[in-house]
Amino acid sequence: MNATTLVNGALEGGLYALVALGLSLVFGVLRLINLAHGVLVIGAAYAALELFELFRLGPFAALPIVIVVAAVFGYLLQRLMLTNLLLKGPEAGIVGTFGLAVLGEAAFAAAFTSNGVSLQSSLATSSFKIGGVTLEMVLVTACAIAVACAGALQFGLKRTRAGSVLRAAAKDPSTAELMGINVRLVFALTVALAAALAAVGGVLYGVSTGFAPTSDTSLLLIAVAVVVVGGVGNITGTLVAGLAMGLVQAISVSVFGGGYADFTVYVLFFVVLIARPKGLFGQGAL
Amino acid sequence: MATTALSRAPESVAPALPLRRRGIAALGALVLAGAACLALGEVGGAGVLSLGTTLFAYVALAQAWNILGGFSGQMSLGVGAFVGTSAYTMALTMTRLGWSWLPGMVAGMAVAGSLSALLAFPLLRLKGDYFAVGTLAATLALDAWFDNWSFVNKSMGVSVPIQAVPGQTEMYVIGLVVALFAVGSAIVMRWSTFGVRLLAIREDDLAARLLGVNVSGYRLVVMVVSGMLIGLAGGVFALSLVSFVPDGMFAMSWTIEALVMVVIGGMGTVIGPIVGAVAVYYGITTELANFPTLSLFFEGGLLLVIVRFVPGGLWPFVVRTARRSLEWCGTAIRSARATRPPSS
Repeated sequence: MNATTLVNGALEGGLYALVALGLSLVFGVLRLINLAHGVLVIGAAYAALELFELFRLGPFAALPIVIVVAAVFGYLLQRLMLTNLLLKGPEAGIVGTFGLAVLGEAAFAAAFTSNGVSLQSSLATSSFKIGGVTLEMVLVTACAIAVACAGALQFGLKRTRAGSVLRAAAKDPSTAELMGINVRLVFALTVALAAALAAVGGVLYGVSTGFAPTSDTSLLLIAVAVVVVGGVGNITGTLVAGLAMGLVQAISVSVFGGGYADFTVYVLFFVVLIARPKGLFGQGAL
Repeated sequence: MATTALSRAPESVAPALPLRRRGIAALGALVLAGAACLALGEVGGAGVLSLGTTLFAYVALAQAWNILGGFSGQMSLGVGAFVGTSAYTMALTMTRLGWSWLPGMVAGMAVAGSLSALLAFPLLRLKGDYFAVGTLAATLALDAWFDNWSFVNKSMGVSVPIQAVPGQTEMYVIGLVVALFAVGSAIVMRWSTFGVRLLAIREDDLAARLLGVNVSGYRLVVMVVSGMLIGLAGGVFALSLVSFVPDGMFAMSWTIEALVMVVIGGMGTVIGPIVGAVAVYYGITTELANFPTLSLFFEGGLLLVIVRFVPGGLWPFVVRTARRSLEWCGTAIRSARATRPPSS
């Protein structure tokens, strides 16, 4: 175990934080663990892949288009599907989002085969050295984008009018409705924003790690673990928890070997869920 | 938690008979249905026997999920954990200890039940979404562990000794007994004070606790019973598959199948999961056996469509429609009689 492994592990944690931000937002506002969040992330990576094959767009050129598509999809998802399910109770939300995840995995497998692929970018192979530590460029970029997104989200939620409207709708939807807030619109825009964040995470994940139709489940669990550790709706907590998760995963892989990488993530998830269902940093902005 | 369209069992609205008499009537009907299935197995050929065995195992699987998810409201995404541990226990006891299938299956059930109890301690503290994600994580952890555990041949998997697998007719009977056992457990749970308390917990666990119901105790019992029943079904699957790998036995597909069957048939009812198991097994599983991706696509799509448009599932929908049309016929006949001129 050397410094390079640890630092890159923590940087990969920035990617986890990015994936977790959207989940945290939806969980905090809609009180729903979106079991299809992993599918949104992977879907964005596949969309970038398709854009490359059709128009030879690189991942970062494709990113703005993917973000817009994901946001529109998220908006429609909430409007046409989730609103109705949430009114029926929590079971319907679990069944519905799980169904969506199954559907998404099958659709990706049908359209792109079940083999693993990755997004090609010059960023994926480049790295630089600081002291004795080799930093992978793509992870540094991902981490920087994660910090930027978290900062923007924190500012937006705390300091803008839209943010206070969102927080009001999250805290008490019926009172917010009485105050003239269009709660359904706010919820739909929240899911759209979460999907956009998932899209950013997905494209970066596709460049750095590669993906397959079934990658969504482990991403979902990592994201849930990060949200639980960081505290639901707590943006700073999510960021810190993501970095910590990446670090712990890197340590466990170098101690137990690569075969147990997934196992340690799931066990860690379990421990986190049991030990701290309220999060280490408590409830945050939402 | 409000009473929701999805979670409300239609039988709970107005029992026509007292609770226990309904339960006894249902058990009687179950015995008759079991005898009919046995007779069908006698007259049917090899096709009926092999299809029937798998169908019975799916009925047990769906009913076991329904007992936990439908009756007590804990949505599990971890069916594979219990199918896998039971199948592995069975294969290992049979190959390494030389046990025959019956003690092997009982051991599988016991280990699945113990795993359930073990998982219950951390998981039962969690509610709703957290419970669902927790069971998902437990299943994936077990899959990843078995994939790397040399004691169980890592990802190469294990097999049941082929000479110890019972013949087709016996397999049919074993499957039938397992299915009857699962449906019988559901009936006993549904129409008893135990079941009524479970409904109370599902609808509002705080209110149930305040009324003196031992909420965690009841949830623990339901979780263990469900785990044991899934273990039994897993034993039947292990015997019919003979050899299997971790990715197959701890797969998400068990959860998907069980969930689709229950949601389509009617969550929280006794008949619904049976109807759902038959419909999904004949409509999707056998039809699309060679197209796994397409069948996943259909199952995911069906989950969405059913939960969005027929949230109670098909069986309650059919019952409601039948009752309404009967009422409509009755009204029509009465009004026809009333308007008819006296004949004398």
